[in-house]
Amino acid sequence: MTTPTEMRDLALRLLTYEANASKFPEPVESIVLRVYEKLRQSLSDFAGMAAFQSLASRALAMARSEIPSLQVAQISADGALKGLVPDKGHAMDDFGPQTDLGKDGATEQIAGNGGIVVIARLLGLLLVFLGEPIMLRLLRNAWPGAAIDDRSSENGRKA
Amino acid sequence: MSTQDRVKINKLTTGVPGLDEIVGGGLPEFSFNIIAGAPGSGKTTLAHQFVFANASPERPALYFTVLGESAIKMLRYQQQYTFFDPSKLQDSIRFVNLSQVVLEKDLGAVLEKITKEVEKANPAVVVVDSFRTMVRKPESDMDLQSFIQRLALFLASWEATTFLIGEYAEDELRDNPIFTVADGLFWLRQTAERNSVVRKLQVIKLRGQDSVPGLHTFRITDAGIQAFSRTFGLTARKRNPPSGRRLCFGIPELDKMLDGGVREGDSVLVAGSSGTGKSVLATQFIAEGIQNGQPGIVAVFEERPEAYSERATSLGLDLETPQKDGKLTILYLRPLDLSVDETMQSILDAVQKIGAKRLVIDSLAGFEMALSPGFRADFRESLYRMIFALTGIGVTILSTVEVDESFTEFPFSTYSISFLTDDIIRLRYVSIDGQLRKIMVVIKMRGGNHAKDIREYEITSKGVVILGKRLVEYQGLISGIPVHSNRLSLQEEASEGAGTKGKN
Repeated sequence: MTTPTEMRDLALRLLTYEANASKFPEPVESIVLRVYEKLRQSLSDFAGMAAFQSLASRALAMARSEIPSLQVAQISADGALKGLVPDKGHAMDDFGPQTDLGKDGATEQIAGNGGIVVIARLLGLLLVFLGEPIMLRLLRNAWPGAAIDDRSSENGRKA
Repeated sequence: MSTQDRVKINKLTTGVPGLDEIVGGGLPEFSFNIIAGAPGSGKTTLAHQFVFANASPERPALYFTVLGESAIKMLRYQQQYTFFDPSKLQDSIRFVNLSQVVLEKDLGAVLEKITKEVEKANPAVVVVDSFRTMVRKPESDMDLQSFIQRLALFLASWEATTFLIGEYAEDELRDNPIFTVADGLFWLRQTAERNSVVRKLQVIKLRGQDSVPGLHTFRITDAGIQAFSRTFGLTARKRNPPSGRRLCFGIPELDKMLDGGVREGDSVLVAGSSGTGKSVLATQFIAEGIQNGQPGIVAVFEERPEAYSERATSLGLDLETPQKDGKLTILYLRPLDLSVDETMQSILDAVQKIGAKRLVIDSLAGFEMALSPGFRADFRESLYRMIFALTGIGVTILSTVEVDESFTEFPFSTYSISFLTDDIIRLRYVSIDGQLRKIMVVIKMRGGNHAKDIREYEITSKGVVILGKRLVEYQGLISGIPVHSNRLSLQEEASEGAGTKGKN
């Protein structure tokens, strides 16, 4: 239940939803940042900026062990994710079956990898601390239009 | 003003078993309340139970967390309680963190933020946890007072029932303006007594309704807080008038001694030293009741229910079948850290569940030992409240008590509790004709006639059996070392004879 793969899958579902919500093709990195910002807003309101900043910093530290290019990324005092750079060493397929990310090509998908891992790790921490029902409630609140039934449902994947 | 002209204040359930009774039926709607106490006393859990019991999507609860209470950590632990329903989060219960505004801005900005969130959500319940951290550094006392008054007015105007949670010390009660403004003030305490922790709750203030005064014990379990009212939830119930019915033991000679049995609703004390048959008598009392259609409860503290049933079987009494049929409950109240109120609640629940008419407490010594050390000092007072409450609803109580056998005294109990009882049956050993035999006497029957006879009895395979007639041929039976009347006469004659000789 707590495998990183499942969290990556969930992170990709959120990215997919955000990509589909956009009228124009955009780099995966900016979609990642949009997902991250929604999480930051929702969690800061809920738990406080300091709590979010702590979780995000921990998520980034864990993600760095997987994605070396994240060494330059930072979490600022207000919890913002900065310094996210494309990592061409990882393909989107590494992160699950969903490759239909946005309306642009694979290059941009690859560029988003590091950020996706940060988001997956952040979701993983929420899962550890809050459990699945509360984590999913928070995500539904941040993405009211997305079908986030559970971490592996078909509905969620097609969101 | 007539009753019908008065504004009706709705009472909201607290969500805490036992607490509604303590606060007089529920918490007044739109009231502004403080939950105070030391860290770890259960403040947040109490607020959560109220929130989960009252929040709805239409009228949600807003739970403001401030410094020191991260919602993530709070929810991580609170979700372990069975009352916690994750499906209520976000739709019915929303958490908003105020740390940033508290850290960076003044109380005016905090009020503004709360106002904004309340206007957006239109909540039925508002909690600020912890309010103490929010006002730790007020610009001045006037700022604090003004802030509290504006907050209270605003939240009442929005028809929200509010809880401010704070770590306050009791010596702050006098000077802190928050306690003046509050409609309700709940104080939670926990103290260590030797190796046990005793938790107590006090409703120091509750405007507009009659709460039960005093300290009420409470326990925090997987289900959250459970409070135990000092009045055992029976304040609203009238005492049953005496029925005049007699309840038999099923021991014909003893029932005759009791003028037909103990009166319904009496408290009976069976006192005697170890092995005199107190528990046997109690078991016969319960078994006879069941045979007569009177369900019973046996509260045992010193042995397991299975052992109690097995011993009854050896006396030819079947306690297994009535347990299966719902006519008998044998309560084993786990030892060492109980409060009397908690024990009472278990007994009351059982009494109400099966409609019990007879209750056996076997024994008072075991009961006392099962209590947390902090409650033992209040044992007699608590016992009085318990007996008064139960007999008031028509339950007849038989308690056993062990007394030290003395050959110079004839004590009824070591607890000085005979004033709590209507009837006392005393069992004791006596030395007769080179044998250790047993005698029984009815010491007291309040409001009723009873035999004054001292009767010998035995414990047989059929239970307590009273032998023959009263022991008329012995004197000094209650001393335990009686003298046969014949021997006494001979001694008197000898003594008189010696006197006559002397005179001669």
